[in-house]
Amino acid sequence: MLRKTLTEDSFYLNLGPQHPSTHGVLHLLLKLDGERILECKPLVGYSHRAHEHMGQNRTYLQFLPNTSRMDYLGGLCYNHAYCLAVEKACGIEVPERARYIRTVCAELNRISSHLLWFGAYLMDLGAFTPFLYAFDDREDILAILGEVTGSRLTYSYCRFGGVNRDLNQNFLDGTKAFIPKLRKRLKDYRTLVTKNIIFLNRTKGIGTVSAELARDWALTGPNLRACGVAYDLRRAEPYSIYPELEFEIPTATAGDCYDRYWVRMAEMEQSLRIVEQALGRLPEGPVKAAGVPQWIQPPAGDYHFSYESPRGHLGIYFVSDGGRVPLRMKWRTPSFSNLSILSEILPGTLVADTIAILGSIDVVIPEIDR
Amino acid sequence: MNAVVRYLRDVFSGAWSLAMGMSVTLRYMFKPVSTVQYPREAMPLPEVYRGHIELRRFAETGSHGCVACGECFRICPSGVIKVQGLKEEADRPNRAVFYFIDFSRCSLCGLCVEVCPESALAFSKVYEEVGVSRYSTVVDLIARLESQGA
Ligand code: SF4
Ligand code: SF4
Repeated sequence: MLRKTLTEDSFYLNLGPQHPSTHGVLHLLLKLDGERILECKPLVGYSHRAHEHMGQNRTYLQFLPNTSRMDYLGGLCYNHAYCLAVEKACGIEVPERARYIRTVCAELNRISSHLLWFGAYLMDLGAFTPFLYAFDDREDILAILGEVTGSRLTYSYCRFGGVNRDLNQNFLDGTKAFIPKLRKRLKDYRTLVTKNIIFLNRTKGIGTVSAELARDWALTGPNLRACGVAYDLRRAEPYSIYPELEFEIPTATAGDCYDRYWVRMAEMEQSLRIVEQALGRLPEGPVKAAGVPQWIQPPAGDYHFSYESPRGHLGIYFVSDGGRVPLRMKWRTPSFSNLSILSEILPGTLVADTIAILGSIDVVIPEIDR
Repeated sequence: MNAVVRYLRDVFSGAWSLAMGMSVTLRYMFKPVSTVQYPREAMPLPEVYRGHIELRRFAETGSHGCVACGECFRICPSGVIKVQGLKEEADRPNRAVFYFIDFSRCSLCGLCVEVCPESALAFSKVYEEVGVSRYSTVVDLIARLESQGA
Protein backbone atom coordinates (compact mmCIF):
# COMPACT_ATOMS: atom_id res chain seq x y z
CA MET A 1 0.00 0.00 0.00
CA LEU A 2 2.80 2.42 0.75
CA ARG A 3 5.12 3.78 -1.84
CA LYS A 4 8.10 5.74 -0.57
CA THR A 5 8.87 8.67 -2.81
CA LEU A 6 11.89 10.82 -3.41
CA THR A 7 11.21 13.46 -0.80
CA GLU A 8 11.84 12.47 2.76
CA ASP A 9 8.58 13.36 4.47
CA SER A 10 5.84 12.66 2.00
CA PHE A 11 4.66 9.35 0.73
CA TYR A 12 1.83 8.00 -1.34
CA LEU A 13 -1.08 6.03 -0.02
CA ASN A 14 -3.53 4.19 -2.22
CA LEU A 15 -6.94 4.41 -0.65
CA GLY A 16 -8.93 1.83 -2.52
CA PRO A 17 -9.87 0.45 -4.96
CA GLN A 18 -10.77 -2.21 -2.42
CA HIS A 19 -11.30 -0.16 0.67
CA PRO A 20 -14.54 -0.60 2.58
CA SER A 21 -15.18 3.12 2.90
CA THR A 22 -14.72 4.03 -0.74
CA HIS A 23 -18.18 2.62 -1.52
CA GLY A 24 -17.19 0.52 -4.45
CA VAL A 25 -14.12 0.45 -6.56
CA LEU A 26 -12.91 4.00 -6.19
CA HIS A 27 -9.20 4.58 -6.04
CA LEU A 28 -7.89 7.66 -4.28
CA LEU A 29 -4.20 8.31 -4.65
CA LEU A 30 -3.23 10.38 -1.63
CA LYS A 31 0.06 12.13 -1.13
CA LEU A 32 0.57 12.36 2.59
CA ASP A 33 2.77 14.15 5.00
CA GLY A 34 2.18 12.06 8.07
CA GLU A 35 -1.58 12.22 8.55
CA ARG A 36 -2.03 15.35 6.52
CA ILE A 37 -3.02 15.19 2.88
CA LEU A 38 -0.94 17.15 0.42
CA GLU A 39 -2.56 15.99 -2.76
CA CYS A 40 -5.45 13.81 -3.80
CA LYS A 41 -6.10 12.26 -7.13
CA PRO A 42 -9.32 10.27 -7.60
CA LEU A 43 -8.77 7.48 -10.12
CA VAL A 44 -11.92 6.11 -11.65
CA GLY A 45 -12.89 3.58 -14.28
CA TYR A 46 -12.64 0.28 -12.44
CA SER A 47 -16.26 -0.61 -13.03
CA HIS A 48 -16.57 0.72 -16.54
CA ARG A 49 -19.11 -1.34 -18.45
CA ALA A 50 -19.50 0.76 -21.59
CA HIS A 51 -23.14 1.60 -21.00
CA GLU A 52 -23.00 4.53 -23.39
CA HIS A 53 -21.58 2.34 -26.09
CA MET A 54 -24.24 -0.27 -25.41
CA GLY A 55 -26.79 2.47 -25.93
CA GLN A 56 -25.37 3.00 -29.40
CA ASN A 57 -25.76 -0.57 -30.54
CA ARG A 58 -29.26 -1.38 -29.37
CA THR A 59 -32.65 0.17 -29.82
CA TYR A 60 -34.11 2.76 -27.47
CA LEU A 61 -36.33 0.29 -25.66
CA GLN A 62 -33.58 -2.29 -25.34
CA PHE A 63 -31.36 0.25 -23.63
CA LEU A 64 -33.94 0.82 -20.90
CA PRO A 65 -32.75 -1.99 -18.58
CA ASN A 66 -29.23 -0.55 -18.68
CA THR A 67 -30.34 2.76 -17.22
CA SER A 68 -31.11 1.38 -13.78
CA ARG A 69 -27.73 -0.32 -13.70
CA MET A 70 -25.75 2.88 -13.93
CA ASP A 71 -26.88 4.18 -10.59
CA TYR A 72 -28.12 1.11 -8.79
CA LEU A 73 -29.43 3.18 -5.89
CA GLY A 74 -31.57 5.47 -7.98
CA GLY A 75 -32.60 3.00 -10.67
CA LEU A 76 -36.14 4.26 -10.96
CA CYS A 77 -35.04 7.87 -11.26
CA TYR A 78 -32.75 6.87 -14.12
CA ASN A 79 -35.53 4.92 -15.80
CA HIS A 80 -37.78 7.90 -15.41
CA ALA A 81 -35.18 10.30 -16.77
CA TYR A 82 -34.45 8.17 -19.81
CA CYS A 83 -38.14 7.75 -20.63
CA LEU A 84 -38.73 11.48 -20.26
CA ALA A 85 -35.80 12.18 -22.57
CA VAL A 86 -37.05 9.86 -25.30
CA GLU A 87 -40.63 11.02 -24.88
CA LYS A 88 -39.52 14.60 -25.28
CA ALA A 89 -37.68 13.69 -28.46
CA CYS A 90 -40.63 11.84 -29.96
CA GLY A 91 -43.35 14.09 -28.60
CA ILE A 92 -45.16 11.30 -26.79
CA GLU A 93 -47.95 12.44 -24.44
CA VAL A 94 -47.93 10.56 -21.16
CA PRO A 95 -51.30 9.92 -19.48
CA GLU A 96 -51.90 11.86 -16.28
CA ARG A 97 -52.03 8.82 -14.02
CA ALA A 98 -48.76 7.47 -15.34
CA ARG A 99 -47.04 10.76 -14.63
CA TYR A 100 -48.22 10.66 -11.04
CA ILE A 101 -47.19 7.04 -10.59
CA ARG A 102 -43.74 7.70 -11.96
CA THR A 103 -43.22 10.66 -9.68
CA VAL A 104 -44.34 8.73 -6.61
CA CYS A 105 -42.03 5.86 -7.43
CA ALA A 106 -39.10 8.13 -8.26
CA GLU A 107 -39.48 10.00 -4.97
CA LEU A 108 -39.67 6.76 -3.00
CA ASN A 109 -36.52 5.74 -4.80
CA ARG A 110 -34.89 9.00 -3.84
CA ILE A 111 -35.73 8.38 -0.19
CA SER A 112 -34.31 4.87 -0.32
CA SER A 113 -31.15 6.19 -1.91
CA HIS A 114 -30.73 8.83 0.78
CA LEU A 115 -31.46 6.28 3.49
CA LEU A 116 -28.75 4.00 2.23
CA TRP A 117 -26.38 6.92 2.07
CA PHE A 118 -27.31 7.88 5.62
CA GLY A 119 -26.63 4.38 6.92
CA ALA A 120 -23.41 3.90 5.03
CA TYR A 121 -22.11 7.34 5.90
CA LEU A 122 -22.57 6.85 9.61
CA MET A 123 -20.99 3.46 9.32
CA ASP A 124 -17.95 5.19 7.80
CA LEU A 125 -17.89 7.51 10.76
CA GLY A 126 -17.98 4.59 13.12
CA ALA A 127 -21.64 4.45 14.14
CA PHE A 128 -23.16 1.08 13.53
CA THR A 129 -26.70 1.38 14.92
CA PRO A 130 -28.15 3.98 12.51
CA PHE A 131 -27.06 1.77 9.64
CA LEU A 132 -29.35 -1.00 10.82
CA TYR A 133 -32.29 1.36 11.33
CA ALA A 134 -31.79 2.93 7.93
CA PHE A 135 -31.69 -0.44 6.25
CA ASP A 136 -34.86 -1.44 8.04
CA ASP A 137 -36.62 1.60 6.59
CA ARG A 138 -35.06 1.09 3.20
CA GLU A 139 -36.24 -2.50 3.23
CA ASP A 140 -39.80 -1.20 3.54
CA ILE A 141 -39.38 0.95 0.45
CA LEU A 142 -37.83 -1.87 -1.53
CA ALA A 143 -40.72 -4.12 -0.56
CA ILE A 144 -43.25 -1.46 -1.58
CA LEU A 145 -41.55 -0.86 -4.92
CA GLY A 146 -41.13 -4.59 -5.41
CA GLU A 147 -44.90 -4.97 -5.16
CA VAL A 148 -45.42 -2.97 -8.30
CA THR A 149 -42.17 -3.29 -10.25
CA GLY A 150 -41.33 -6.90 -9.40
CA SER A 151 -37.75 -6.09 -8.61
CA ARG A 152 -35.75 -4.54 -5.81
CA LEU A 153 -33.00 -2.54 -7.46
CA THR A 154 -33.01 -2.76 -11.23
CA TYR A 155 -36.58 -1.80 -11.80
CA SER A 156 -37.09 -1.32 -15.56
CA TYR A 157 -40.51 -0.05 -14.60
CA CYS A 158 -41.10 3.02 -16.75
CA ARG A 159 -41.91 2.61 -20.40
CA PHE A 160 -42.05 5.16 -23.19
CA GLY A 161 -45.44 6.71 -22.73
CA GLY A 162 -46.13 5.45 -19.22
CA VAL A 163 -45.32 2.62 -16.88
CA ASN A 164 -45.69 -1.06 -17.45
CA ARG A 165 -48.03 -1.89 -14.58
CA ASP A 166 -50.67 -0.06 -12.60
CA LEU A 167 -50.30 0.46 -8.85
CA ASN A 168 -51.92 -2.23 -6.76
CA GLN A 169 -53.57 -2.11 -3.37
CA ASN A 170 -50.50 -3.46 -1.59
CA PHE A 171 -48.47 -0.56 -2.90
CA LEU A 172 -51.01 2.03 -1.82
CA ASP A 173 -51.48 0.51 1.64
CA GLY A 174 -47.77 0.02 2.09
CA THR A 175 -46.97 3.61 1.20
CA LYS A 176 -49.71 4.95 3.42
CA ALA A 177 -48.30 3.04 6.36
CA PHE A 178 -44.74 3.89 5.48
CA ILE A 179 -45.04 7.68 5.42
CA PRO A 180 -45.90 8.17 9.13
CA LYS A 181 -43.43 5.45 10.06
CA LEU A 182 -40.54 7.18 8.35
CA ARG A 183 -41.57 10.54 9.80
CA LYS A 184 -41.28 9.03 13.24
CA ARG A 185 -37.98 7.46 12.36
CA LEU A 186 -36.58 10.75 11.06
CA LYS A 187 -37.34 12.23 14.46
CA ASP A 188 -35.42 9.39 16.07
CA TYR A 189 -32.52 9.96 13.71
CA ARG A 190 -32.43 13.55 14.82
CA THR A 191 -32.01 12.52 18.45
CA LEU A 192 -29.69 9.69 17.67
CA VAL A 193 -27.41 11.28 15.10
CA THR A 194 -28.01 14.91 14.25
CA LYS A 195 -27.51 16.09 17.83
CA ASN A 196 -24.82 13.56 18.65
CA ILE A 197 -21.69 15.30 19.86
CA ILE A 198 -19.28 12.87 18.19
CA PHE A 199 -21.06 13.22 14.88
CA LEU A 200 -21.09 17.01 15.15
CA ASN A 201 -17.40 17.15 15.93
CA ARG A 202 -16.55 14.94 13.02
CA THR A 203 -18.62 16.79 10.45
CA LYS A 204 -18.97 20.47 11.41
CA GLY A 205 -16.50 22.63 9.57
CA ILE A 206 -15.01 19.66 7.72
CA GLY A 207 -14.73 19.72 3.95
CA THR A 208 -16.17 23.18 3.55
CA VAL A 209 -17.13 24.16 0.02
CA SER A 210 -18.08 27.71 -0.83
CA ALA A 211 -20.81 28.47 -3.32
CA GLU A 212 -18.30 29.78 -5.88
CA LEU A 213 -16.14 26.70 -5.56
CA ALA A 214 -19.18 24.51 -5.95
CA ARG A 215 -20.16 26.34 -9.11
CA ASP A 216 -16.64 26.12 -10.48
CA TRP A 217 -16.58 22.38 -10.04
CA ALA A 218 -20.13 21.93 -11.33
CA LEU A 219 -21.40 20.46 -8.10
CA THR A 220 -25.08 19.65 -8.21
CA GLY A 221 -27.76 18.10 -6.08
CA PRO A 222 -27.64 18.12 -2.29
CA ASN A 223 -23.93 18.97 -2.38
CA LEU A 224 -24.66 22.26 -4.11
CA ARG A 225 -27.70 23.03 -1.99
CA ALA A 226 -25.60 22.56 1.13
CA CYS A 227 -23.54 25.56 -0.03
CA GLY A 228 -26.60 27.76 -0.04
CA VAL A 229 -27.54 27.64 -3.72
CA ALA A 230 -31.20 26.72 -4.01
CA TYR A 231 -30.85 25.04 -7.37
CA ASP A 232 -33.04 22.03 -7.92
CA LEU A 233 -33.96 20.92 -11.43
CA ARG A 234 -37.39 19.92 -10.21
CA ARG A 235 -37.99 23.65 -9.79
CA ALA A 236 -35.46 25.19 -12.17
CA GLU A 237 -36.43 23.17 -15.24
CA PRO A 238 -39.62 21.49 -14.09
CA TYR A 239 -40.68 18.23 -15.66
CA SER A 240 -43.41 15.69 -15.05
CA ILE A 241 -45.89 16.86 -12.38
CA TYR A 242 -43.48 18.76 -10.16
CA PRO A 243 -44.90 22.21 -11.00
CA GLU A 244 -48.23 21.11 -9.51
CA LEU A 245 -46.73 19.95 -6.23
CA GLU A 246 -45.78 21.88 -3.16
CA PHE A 247 -42.38 21.24 -1.73
CA GLU A 248 -39.42 23.23 -0.54
CA ILE A 249 -35.82 23.07 -1.57
CA PRO A 250 -33.85 22.62 1.62
CA THR A 251 -30.62 24.58 1.65
CA ALA A 252 -27.88 25.13 4.20
CA THR A 253 -25.20 27.79 4.36
CA ALA A 254 -21.80 26.47 5.40
CA GLY A 255 -21.30 23.77 2.81
CA ASP A 256 -19.51 21.41 5.17
CA CYS A 257 -20.11 17.70 5.77
CA TYR A 258 -22.77 18.42 8.37
CA ASP A 259 -24.72 20.63 5.97
CA ARG A 260 -24.62 18.04 3.25
CA TYR A 261 -25.96 15.57 5.77
CA TRP A 262 -28.64 17.97 6.93
CA VAL A 263 -29.81 18.79 3.39
CA ARG A 264 -30.30 15.13 2.56
CA MET A 265 -32.24 14.50 5.74
CA ALA A 266 -34.46 17.48 5.01
CA GLU A 267 -34.88 16.29 1.44
CA MET A 268 -36.29 13.02 2.64
CA GLU A 269 -39.01 14.91 4.47
CA GLN A 270 -39.80 16.89 1.34
CA SER A 271 -39.92 13.71 -0.72
CA LEU A 272 -42.39 12.27 1.75
CA ARG A 273 -44.51 15.36 1.26
CA ILE A 274 -44.37 14.91 -2.51
CA VAL A 275 -45.38 11.26 -2.27
CA GLU A 276 -48.23 12.12 0.04
CA GLN A 277 -49.56 14.89 -2.21
CA ALA A 278 -49.21 12.89 -5.40
CA LEU A 279 -50.95 9.85 -3.97
CA GLY A 280 -53.67 12.09 -2.56
CA ARG A 281 -54.66 13.32 -5.98
CA LEU A 282 -53.82 10.28 -8.04
CA PRO A 283 -56.10 10.55 -11.08
CA GLU A 284 -57.85 7.64 -12.73
CA GLY A 285 -57.11 6.60 -16.26
CA PRO A 286 -54.73 4.57 -18.36
CA VAL A 287 -51.12 4.11 -17.27
CA LYS A 288 -49.63 3.85 -20.72
CA ALA A 289 -50.09 5.93 -23.84
CA ALA A 290 -51.64 4.04 -26.71
CA GLY A 291 -49.91 3.69 -30.02
CA VAL A 292 -46.28 3.96 -28.93
CA PRO A 293 -44.36 1.86 -31.44
CA GLN A 294 -42.15 -0.91 -30.15
CA TRP A 295 -39.19 0.23 -32.24
CA ILE A 296 -39.26 3.88 -31.47
CA GLN A 297 -37.65 6.23 -34.02
CA PRO A 298 -37.08 9.81 -32.88
CA PRO A 299 -36.77 12.29 -35.74
CA ALA A 300 -33.21 13.08 -36.76
CA GLY A 301 -31.53 15.59 -34.49
CA ASP A 302 -29.91 15.83 -31.11
CA TYR A 303 -31.78 15.89 -27.84
CA HIS A 304 -30.94 16.76 -24.30
CA PHE A 305 -32.83 16.31 -21.08
CA SER A 306 -31.94 17.24 -17.50
CA TYR A 307 -33.19 15.40 -14.48
CA GLU A 308 -32.71 15.83 -10.74
CA SER A 309 -31.43 12.47 -9.63
CA PRO A 310 -30.83 11.74 -5.93
CA ARG A 311 -27.23 12.80 -6.46
CA GLY A 312 -27.74 15.85 -8.65
CA HIS A 313 -27.98 16.92 -12.24
CA LEU A 314 -28.39 13.98 -14.58
CA GLY A 315 -28.08 14.99 -18.21
CA ILE A 316 -29.04 12.69 -21.05
CA TYR A 317 -27.90 13.58 -24.52
CA PHE A 318 -28.48 11.54 -27.61
CA VAL A 319 -28.24 12.01 -31.32
CA SER A 320 -30.70 10.33 -33.61
CA ASP A 321 -30.42 9.84 -37.34
CA GLY A 322 -34.07 8.93 -37.51
CA GLY A 323 -33.36 5.24 -37.14
CA ARG A 324 -34.08 2.69 -34.47
CA VAL A 325 -30.68 2.91 -32.87
CA PRO A 326 -29.23 6.16 -31.49
CA LEU A 327 -26.12 7.46 -33.21
CA ARG A 328 -24.62 8.76 -30.01
CA MET A 329 -25.64 8.30 -26.40
CA LYS A 330 -24.07 10.41 -23.70
CA TRP A 331 -24.93 10.58 -20.01
CA ARG A 332 -23.79 13.33 -17.73
CA THR A 333 -23.87 11.68 -14.35
CA PRO A 334 -23.75 13.83 -11.22
CA SER A 335 -21.29 11.81 -9.13
CA PHE A 336 -18.50 12.34 -11.62
CA SER A 337 -18.41 16.11 -11.12
CA ASN A 338 -19.18 15.77 -7.44
CA LEU A 339 -16.22 13.48 -6.97
CA SER A 340 -13.76 15.66 -8.83
CA ILE A 341 -14.00 18.38 -6.20
CA LEU A 342 -12.12 16.07 -3.82
CA SER A 343 -8.81 17.07 -5.37
CA GLU A 344 -9.62 20.64 -4.40
CA ILE A 345 -10.96 20.25 -0.87
CA LEU A 346 -8.94 17.34 0.47
CA PRO A 347 -5.45 18.91 0.59
CA GLY A 348 -4.80 20.10 4.13
CA THR A 349 -7.20 17.73 5.83
CA LEU A 350 -6.47 14.57 7.78
CA VAL A 351 -6.94 11.02 6.57
CA ALA A 352 -9.82 10.43 8.97
CA ASP A 353 -11.56 13.50 7.54
CA THR A 354 -11.07 12.16 4.03
CA ILE A 355 -13.48 9.39 4.89
CA ALA A 356 -15.97 11.86 6.31
CA ILE A 357 -15.72 14.12 3.26
CA LEU A 358 -15.82 11.34 0.70
CA GLY A 359 -18.86 9.83 2.38
CA SER A 360 -20.67 13.14 2.63
CA ILE A 361 -20.36 13.71 -1.11
CA ASP A 362 -22.39 10.56 -1.76
CA VAL A 363 -20.80 9.06 -4.82
CA VAL A 364 -22.00 5.94 -6.56
CA ILE A 365 -19.05 4.47 -8.39
CA PRO A 366 -20.80 2.50 -11.15
CA GLU A 367 -22.53 5.71 -12.09
CA ILE A 368 -19.21 7.54 -12.43
CA ASP A 369 -17.66 4.78 -14.50
CA ARG A 370 -20.80 3.81 -16.40
CA MET B 1 -12.62 31.11 33.75
CA ASN B 2 -14.73 31.52 30.66
CA ALA B 3 -12.87 28.70 28.96
CA VAL B 4 -13.51 26.39 31.88
CA VAL B 5 -17.23 27.14 31.81
CA ARG B 6 -17.35 26.54 28.08
CA TYR B 7 -15.44 23.33 28.48
CA LEU B 8 -17.77 22.06 31.16
CA ARG B 9 -20.80 23.07 29.15
CA ASP B 10 -19.45 21.15 26.17
CA VAL B 11 -18.85 18.09 28.29
CA PHE B 12 -22.34 18.16 29.72
CA SER B 13 -24.18 18.88 26.48
CA GLY B 14 -22.08 16.20 24.78
CA ALA B 15 -22.86 13.66 27.46
CA TRP B 16 -26.54 14.62 27.31
CA SER B 17 -26.63 14.09 23.53
CA LEU B 18 -25.07 10.67 23.95
CA ALA B 19 -27.57 9.76 26.66
CA MET B 20 -30.46 10.85 24.45
CA GLY B 21 -29.08 8.78 21.60
CA MET B 22 -28.73 5.82 23.89
CA SER B 23 -32.36 6.19 24.95
CA VAL B 24 -33.42 5.77 21.31
CA THR B 25 -31.32 2.65 21.01
CA LEU B 26 -32.74 1.29 24.25
CA ARG B 27 -36.28 1.93 23.09
CA TYR B 28 -35.60 -0.06 19.93
CA MET B 29 -34.23 -2.92 21.96
CA PHE B 30 -37.74 -3.70 23.09
CA LYS B 31 -39.29 -3.44 19.65
CA PRO B 32 -39.98 -6.58 17.60
CA VAL B 33 -37.01 -7.94 15.70
CA SER B 34 -37.01 -7.05 12.03
CA THR B 35 -34.27 -9.43 10.89
CA VAL B 36 -35.37 -12.37 8.79
CA GLN B 37 -33.18 -15.43 9.34
CA TYR B 38 -32.83 -15.98 5.65
CA PRO B 39 -31.96 -19.58 4.84
CA ARG B 40 -34.34 -20.80 7.51
CA GLU B 41 -37.06 -18.25 6.86
CA ALA B 42 -37.99 -16.69 3.56
CA MET B 43 -39.41 -13.31 2.71
CA PRO B 44 -42.79 -13.35 0.98
CA LEU B 45 -42.32 -12.62 -2.70
CA PRO B 46 -44.51 -10.03 -4.36
CA GLU B 47 -47.11 -11.19 -6.83
CA VAL B 48 -45.23 -9.67 -9.74
CA TYR B 49 -41.77 -10.86 -8.74
CA ARG B 50 -39.42 -11.13 -11.70
CA GLY B 51 -37.41 -14.32 -11.60
CA HIS B 52 -36.08 -15.86 -14.80
CA ILE B 53 -38.64 -16.38 -17.51
CA GLU B 54 -40.48 -19.61 -18.02
CA LEU B 55 -43.11 -20.89 -20.40
CA ARG B 56 -46.63 -20.89 -19.05
CA ARG B 57 -48.63 -24.07 -19.07
CA PHE B 58 -51.98 -23.65 -20.74
CA ALA B 59 -54.76 -25.67 -19.16
CA GLU B 60 -56.51 -26.35 -22.49
CA THR B 61 -53.54 -28.04 -24.10
CA GLY B 62 -51.58 -29.07 -21.00
CA SER B 63 -48.53 -27.65 -22.68
CA HIS B 64 -46.85 -24.40 -23.59
CA GLY B 65 -48.31 -21.95 -26.08
CA CYS B 66 -45.20 -20.72 -27.86
CA VAL B 67 -45.54 -20.50 -31.63
CA ALA B 68 -41.86 -19.67 -32.19
CA CYS B 69 -42.64 -16.33 -33.76
CA GLY B 70 -39.30 -15.00 -32.52
CA GLU B 71 -40.61 -11.70 -31.14
CA CYS B 72 -39.01 -12.31 -27.76
CA PHE B 73 -35.75 -13.31 -29.40
CA ARG B 74 -35.73 -10.06 -31.40
CA ILE B 75 -36.47 -7.75 -28.48
CA CYS B 76 -34.19 -9.33 -25.89
CA PRO B 77 -31.46 -6.73 -25.21
CA SER B 78 -28.99 -9.34 -24.07
CA GLY B 79 -29.65 -11.86 -26.82
CA VAL B 80 -30.15 -14.73 -24.43
CA ILE B 81 -33.12 -16.40 -26.13
CA LYS B 82 -32.93 -19.02 -28.82
CA VAL B 83 -36.16 -20.48 -30.06
CA GLN B 84 -36.69 -23.07 -32.77
CA GLY B 85 -40.09 -23.91 -34.19
CA LEU B 86 -41.43 -26.78 -36.23
CA LYS B 87 -44.47 -26.95 -38.47
CA GLU B 88 -46.26 -30.06 -37.28
CA GLU B 89 -49.49 -29.71 -39.21
CA ALA B 90 -49.92 -27.73 -42.40
CA ASP B 91 -52.90 -25.64 -41.31
CA ARG B 92 -51.76 -24.95 -37.75
CA PRO B 93 -49.19 -22.43 -36.58
CA ASN B 94 -45.65 -23.46 -35.77
CA ARG B 95 -44.83 -24.95 -32.43
CA ALA B 96 -41.63 -24.35 -30.54
CA VAL B 97 -39.53 -27.45 -29.98
CA PHE B 98 -36.55 -25.80 -28.36
CA TYR B 99 -36.56 -22.73 -26.20
CA PHE B 100 -33.17 -21.99 -24.73
CA ILE B 101 -32.31 -19.14 -22.42
CA ASP B 102 -28.93 -18.34 -20.98
CA PHE B 103 -30.01 -17.09 -17.59
CA SER B 104 -26.57 -15.83 -16.59
CA ARG B 105 -26.87 -13.00 -19.11
CA CYS B 106 -30.56 -12.23 -18.69
CA SER B 107 -31.11 -8.76 -17.29
CA LEU B 108 -34.62 -9.63 -16.06
CA CYS B 109 -36.01 -6.66 -17.90
CA GLY B 110 -39.26 -8.34 -18.78
CA LEU B 111 -39.44 -7.07 -22.36
CA CYS B 112 -39.83 -10.63 -23.70
CA VAL B 113 -42.82 -11.28 -21.45
CA GLU B 114 -44.45 -8.04 -22.54
CA VAL B 115 -43.91 -8.53 -26.24
CA CYS B 116 -45.12 -12.12 -26.58
CA PRO B 117 -48.27 -12.13 -28.72
CA GLU B 118 -49.38 -15.50 -27.31
CA SER B 119 -48.73 -14.55 -23.66
CA ALA B 120 -46.71 -17.72 -23.55
CA LEU B 121 -44.09 -16.38 -21.17
CA ALA B 122 -44.20 -15.62 -17.47
CA PHE B 123 -41.75 -14.90 -14.70
CA SER B 124 -40.84 -17.71 -12.38
CA LYS B 125 -40.39 -17.11 -8.68
CA VAL B 126 -37.08 -18.93 -8.49
CA TYR B 127 -34.21 -16.93 -7.09
CA GLU B 128 -31.96 -19.53 -5.59
CA GLU B 129 -30.03 -20.67 -8.62
CA VAL B 130 -26.67 -22.35 -8.34
CA GLY B 131 -24.63 -24.16 -10.92
CA VAL B 132 -21.26 -25.75 -11.26
CA SER B 133 -20.37 -24.29 -14.64
CA ARG B 134 -21.49 -21.39 -16.74
CA TYR B 135 -23.40 -23.81 -18.94
CA SER B 136 -25.68 -24.84 -16.12
CA THR B 137 -27.51 -21.55 -16.54
CA VAL B 138 -28.47 -22.47 -20.09
CA VAL B 139 -31.84 -24.14 -19.80
CA ASP B 140 -34.32 -25.47 -22.29
CA LEU B 141 -37.56 -24.04 -21.01
CA ILE B 142 -39.64 -26.62 -22.88
CA ALA B 143 -37.77 -29.49 -21.27
CA ARG B 144 -38.09 -27.68 -17.95
CA LEU B 145 -41.84 -27.35 -18.38
CA GLU B 146 -42.20 -31.01 -19.28
CA SER B 147 -40.08 -32.16 -16.37
CA GLN B 148 -42.36 -30.27 -14.01
CA GLY B 149 -45.19 -32.67 -14.84
CA ALA B 150 -48.74 -31.80 -15.77
S1 SF4 C 1 -42.78 -14.17 -28.41
FE1 SF4 C 1 -43.96 -15.76 -27.37
S2 SF4 C 1 -44.77 -17.02 -29.01
FE2 SF4 C 1 -43.15 -15.76 -29.91
S3 SF4 C 1 -41.32 -17.08 -29.79
FE3 SF4 C 1 -41.34 -15.81 -27.93
S4 SF4 C 1 -42.43 -17.06 -26.41
FE4 SF4 C 1 -42.85 -17.95 -28.39
S1 SF4 D 1 -36.09 -10.73 -19.34
FE1 SF4 D 1 -35.07 -9.35 -20.79
S2 SF4 D 1 -32.96 -10.08 -20.87
FE2 SF4 D 1 -34.15 -11.71 -19.93
S3 SF4 D 1 -34.70 -13.06 -21.61
FE3 SF4 D 1 -36.38 -11.60 -21.39
S4 SF4 D 1 -35.90 -9.92 -22.79
FE4 SF4 D 1 -34.02 -11.13 -22.52
